[in-house]
Amino acid sequence: MGQESRGRVSFFLNSLKDVFTFFFSMGKKSKKMKVFFLIGVLPVVVALIIKLNQFFSNRTPIRGIYIFDNMTIAIYLQFLILILALFYGTSVCSEEVEGKTLTYLTTRPVSKSAVIIGKYAAYTSLIIILTSIGVILSFLVLNVNDLLDFSLYKILLRDVAVLSLGLMCYTAFFTFVGTIMKKSILFGLVFSFGWENVIQYFPGSTQRFAIIHYLKSLLPVPQTGRFSFLMFRLEPSSALFSIFMIFLITGVFLGLACLLFSWKEYIFED
Amino acid sequence: MTIKEKGYAHWDGEFLDKKFPWWPIARYGIKLTFRKKFFKLFFAGSLVPAVIFLAGIYVSERLEDFKFMFQESVPFLQINPAYFETYLSEGFMLFILIVILIFCGSGLISDDLKHNSLQLYFARPLKKKDYFLGKTAVIVFFLFILTLIPGLVFFIMKLIFAGSFKFFLTYPWLPLSIIGYSILVTAFFSFYTLFISSLSKNRRYVAILIFGIYISSDIFHAIFYDNFHSHYFSLLSIRANIQQVSAFIFSEKTPYPISWIYSFLVLTSICVLAGFILKKKVKGVEIVK
Amino acid sequence: MKPVVETEHLSKWYGNVLGLSDVSLQIEPGITGILGPNGAGKSTFLKLILGQLKPNIGTCAIKGEMIRNNYALFSNIGFCPEQDAFYDELTGWQFMIGLLKLHHFSSSEIEIRARKALEIVELIEDKDRIIKSYSRGMRQRLKFAQAIAHDPEIIILDEPLNGLDPLGRRKVIRLIKSYKGEGRTILVSSHVLPEIEAMTKRIILIHQGKIFAQGDIHYIRDLIDTHPHIVSIKCSDPRQLASKFIQEDFVLNVNFSSTEGTLLVKTNNRDKFFGILPSLFVKYDIDVEEITSPDDNLQAVFDYLVGK
Repeated sequence: MGQESRGRVSFFLNSLKDVFTFFFSMGKKSKKMKVFFLIGVLPVVVALIIKLNQFFSNRTPIRGIYIFDNMTIAIYLQFLILILALFYGTSVCSEEVEGKTLTYLTTRPVSKSAVIIGKYAAYTSLIIILTSIGVILSFLVLNVNDLLDFSLYKILLRDVAVLSLGLMCYTAFFTFVGTIMKKSILFGLVFSFGWENVIQYFPGSTQRFAIIHYLKSLLPVPQTGRFSFLMFRLEPSSALFSIFMIFLITGVFLGLACLLFSWKEYIFED
Repeated sequence: MTIKEKGYAHWDGEFLDKKFPWWPIARYGIKLTFRKKFFKLFFAGSLVPAVIFLAGIYVSERLEDFKFMFQESVPFLQINPAYFETYLSEGFMLFILIVILIFCGSGLISDDLKHNSLQLYFARPLKKKDYFLGKTAVIVFFLFILTLIPGLVFFIMKLIFAGSFKFFLTYPWLPLSIIGYSILVTAFFSFYTLFISSLSKNRRYVAILIFGIYISSDIFHAIFYDNFHSHYFSLLSIRANIQQVSAFIFSEKTPYPISWIYSFLVLTSICVLAGFILKKKVKGVEIVK
Repeated sequence: MKPVVETEHLSKWYGNVLGLSDVSLQIEPGITGILGPNGAGKSTFLKLILGQLKPNIGTCAIKGEMIRNNYALFSNIGFCPEQDAFYDELTGWQFMIGLLKLHHFSSSEIEIRARKALEIVELIEDKDRIIKSYSRGMRQRLKFAQAIAHDPEIIILDEPLNGLDPLGRRKVIRLIKSYKGEGRTILVSSHVLPEIEAMTKRIILIHQGKIFAQGDIHYIRDLIDTHPHIVSIKCSDPRQLASKFIQEDFVLNVNFSSTEGTLLVKTNNRDKFFGILPSLFVKYDIDVEEITSPDDNLQAVFDYLVGK
């Protein structure tokens, strides 16, 4: 690698770091993040209520890890991460255009790709932290009797990893959507709660056109039971292939977002 | 040149009493919604269930002609209050209403907050009541097109296709049920949407909250029910509460074996709370500390 | 002097609306005022110079380098945008620190520069208040502060005096003028002639997307001074006032408006006209309610100049 290329890479990485720091510190203080944090810890309240009920009722308690696993899919995987990724992913570009603050970023010595990737990384990190706090607390509450069973922590780690991958991938996709569309939320909702759900019911390879397929492929398929509908008709891909696909989708959409952001003209509306 | 002393003078004139001062707000809101990309397409699509249900009414009167299609009895083609209730309060219709609310309602107050235009509204002979009425009218317009109007059209078409008043004589209260349900669901969603729209200047955030709160209320209901096996947790779900009240209005069995009164109280409480907060939030002047 | 900004046949249109047409010019160090009525193409011109928009035809170079997607150039450029937009949840200090970070300065240098810029615009005491609570004037000065904080050679200010009260205007004009002495290139756009006049003698006149004139403001001033003006006076005795005006040779005609008590006077010498006006009011004890100049705006001046 020539000196010029090395200089360019280090300039890019520096820019990335600066954009990341700016938006990370701004994002963590924002009111919206606080509201989402409250929503993110709601499952902890749910877990607490369930656990307290188990203490005071005479029924044989359901294992905490079973409830935790299913809560991860029902609340986090199929709902919360989609909502968070949709809002923060589309925010990467849309909030600058809607708020007319874009010029503050694009008249600095940082490349437009660094703006997109740095801001994406800042928001993704924040929502991963937010989600992980909720997941970990739910896990601790639901498994308070089995905290010395270290095999359970593997499940916690796996679930946190899957959710983080999900946030990474969905946020990248919605970042791209936000750079290309002005009104990206409705498209995002239709994609998240329409396409991502409906496509799972199609046979064969069709379900591989949904991001959720690769995320669910990383989770064990539950036996028939009350929550088996959450994995309805899943024909899982291999774990390695799923992880590869998640990174590929993330990379492709982030790359497209950077290209588009560098090429497109954003004209503010009055 | 005489420089006259200037002091504060009360204006003793009278405001011209316009009959519907809220109408321009409503008209503009409706116009703006139709100007949105894809709205017309989605709105047209959201009328498809109504067309299908109307076709169902037609087929129900011509079962003999369609015998080749149905080997056995077809209970879903029995036109009774349950048929109307299915159209009006099933999950798919409520979902459509939520998406319509995102289109027409998410920016109703949040855009005014963003552009600081509340003070412009209240600098005119317009009361807070008129402002809210105007904004509510936008939601009422779209929700009535999807609930009240199809419901009444189904009823009238049933009478026309049957060629008799037998259906009316059997269920004389049905038009009132349709009207009552439409008013209830529209009133609830108006408060719900306006309240959320007043929480932020960011329309995208509002859209996500409108959708997210509705869906999450259902998820929490499912999780609690699964663990506690108590139907009282249906009170957590917006959808379940609407369906409970709707069942009562249409004289049907409630989907959850608890009194519809509780659901009605939950919905009413949400409206009262939303109304109270809305009144506090919508002010002509914002003081930033 | 070597030009800092050079454009050649720069043209931009939005759909079938013309934004800027065939602009070729060179801008040298010092303050240059870009003057034109609303919608003339000033902002489009500045955005093209900054690479925020892509020209449909033509090129634009800053210090000999193409600007679009040439990020390194922005170390030397400060831009104060027209729109009143900020990251509202931040304080003035956080806003400055955050934007300075994007210039890759060290933490200590960032603080020094932010402090200095806020001191210059007299916002240092309010630095910890959230931007949302700032007045319009303070917000305008904050925008100026972020444009100068990294000590750029080229400062581009899009309508920096918009919405400011007279005191605020004076402050910002003083700030802008204080920067010209250091070999910098400053581009200021405005649609108000006296504002530009207070800052610089060198102006570029833009009208309907075209460069209408470029050069010394005195030339334009002279043209404007001979431009017949209509002055509307609403007073207690318009007829008596009219009888006095028709005796003056700088008054071209006198009309009575359909609005009760309003006199319309056309003059070809504004200075003389306004010089005599107060004495007439006092002498004949006339109560004045309002004095306006219906055609005292840039559009009228341009219409006159184009006609000429």
